[in-house]
Amino acid sequence: MRGSLRCDNYIHLRFAARVRWVLTVGAPTTSMPVRESEALILRSFPLGEADRLVSFLSRSEGRMRGVASGARRTKSRFGSTLEPFSYVRMWFYERQTRELVRINQCELIESFLEAQRDYAVSLAFALVSEVTEAVLGEHEVAEPNFRLLLVIARAIKAGAKLPLPLAYFAFWIVRLGGWMPALDRCSRCGADVHNARASMARSGLFCPNCTLPGQRTISQEALQLARRMASEKLERLMKANFATAAIDDVKDHMLNLVEQHIEKKLQTRKMTADEPGQLK
Amino acid sequence: MPDFAEPIARLIDQFKRLPGIGQKTAQRLAFHLLRAGPEEAIALADSIRDAKLKIRECSVCNNITDADPCLYCASATRNRTVICVVEEPHNIIAIERTRQYNGLYHVLGGALSPLEGVGPDQLKLRGLIERLKTGPVQEIIIATNPTAEGEATAVYVSKLIKPLGVRVTRIGVGIPVGSDLEYADEITMLKAMEGRRDL
Ligand SMILES: [Zn+2]
Ligand SMILES: [Zn+2]
Repeated sequence: MRGSLRCDNYIHLRFAARVRWVLTVGAPTTSMPVRESEALILRSFPLGEADRLVSFLSRSEGRMRGVASGARRTKSRFGSTLEPFSYVRMWFYERQTRELVRINQCELIESFLEAQRDYAVSLAFALVSEVTEAVLGEHEVAEPNFRLLLVIARAIKAGAKLPLPLAYFAFWIVRLGGWMPALDRCSRCGADVHNARASMARSGLFCPNCTLPGQRTISQEALQLARRMASEKLERLMKANFATAAIDDVKDHMLNLVEQHIEKKLQTRKMTADEPGQLK
Repeated sequence: MPDFAEPIARLIDQFKRLPGIGQKTAQRLAFHLLRAGPEEAIALADSIRDAKLKIRECSVCNNITDADPCLYCASATRNRTVICVVEEPHNIIAIERTRQYNGLYHVLGGALSPLEGVGPDQLKLRGLIERLKTGPVQEIIIATNPTAEGEATAVYVSKLIKPLGVRVTRIGVGIPVGSDLEYADEITMLKAMEGRRDL
């Protein structure tokens, strides 16, 4: 008799728990349902005994950070999915009281691991990660940035020489950030600079008359390349033959604009500069 | 959080700074030591001080050691023609546990990681090149982690070493023993296929 009573109680409790669970999941203010999103891994570091702290860009929810429990164990269910630039489908829980999400599971859609065996490539990917982390706020939806990263990573994986994808990335980071100056006229007097020597600063492009001492000039070819980047796909630009100097000029000016915006130097940019031979 | 007497709070705080230890574990460790006899606590404090004061880096292989050169570098019975390159000193323990490897080691002190500010200059590579130029080394086994960083480091080191005419090998990367192929992602599977060998 006692046994069946306990049994009834048990069923009753389970039922109550179930109802509570359904209510919790249904109520948007208190629920912590599992979320699913495509994501690109920006970087990850060891955390605690065997976990990983993962910084990633979710296609639908923006840049986030999360914990993948046990990811460093040899039999971890995460396998290679948490390596830099892995393009994955990710399941995670958001926890209301904490800024880190809990990463439940990842499924590999596309890997960029093989390309990164080359140190120059891993440096390039690191630069892309560092800039992305620096310019995007957490939980800020940034779908165009997600697509940009994928385009860059795929071009590099396909064997493109690094400077053009990096310049294209830097150009679009500035443009998507809304800090791109007009590329066809002087920002002070409005003069047409299509055929003039111009210089570039955070506040804009300057004609020779308005250039202040110390402002860095930007070559005509670099300006042409930058104008084309605004409207043409990377794939198509890679078929055109731009001079290395022009590509580097665009990349440098755009990264300057990024550094001015985030008000600090990019660590990986300096390391990239230390390996000049490898990046060509 | 309850208020602890200052010395306990300080101890808990120190434990919390250690990797992998949170508030609860720190409290458990602190209270364990308080309950234990004074010898146990003093012995722990002494061993921490000794380790910190007596342990240094081996001047040959960068392993951590209390005698320089370390026991591997000083051993008369180890095979001096093979050097296994690892990221960190604790990786040596994992390899030694197999009891199959009898060569020497070289600790790089990390892996190439631009986002952490670690480039080739931050790794202990010069000493390795020196050892190859002056010693009887015939093979380098690169045992960096099978991560993006570890792989980039392995490729970088091998490019550096190959011109010296030394054989360079990489530890096998792929399916962990005891797991099921069904759960391997395609990169892990690809690595396993690449690393296949004759039976
Ligand atoms: Zn002007
Ligand atoms: Zn040694």
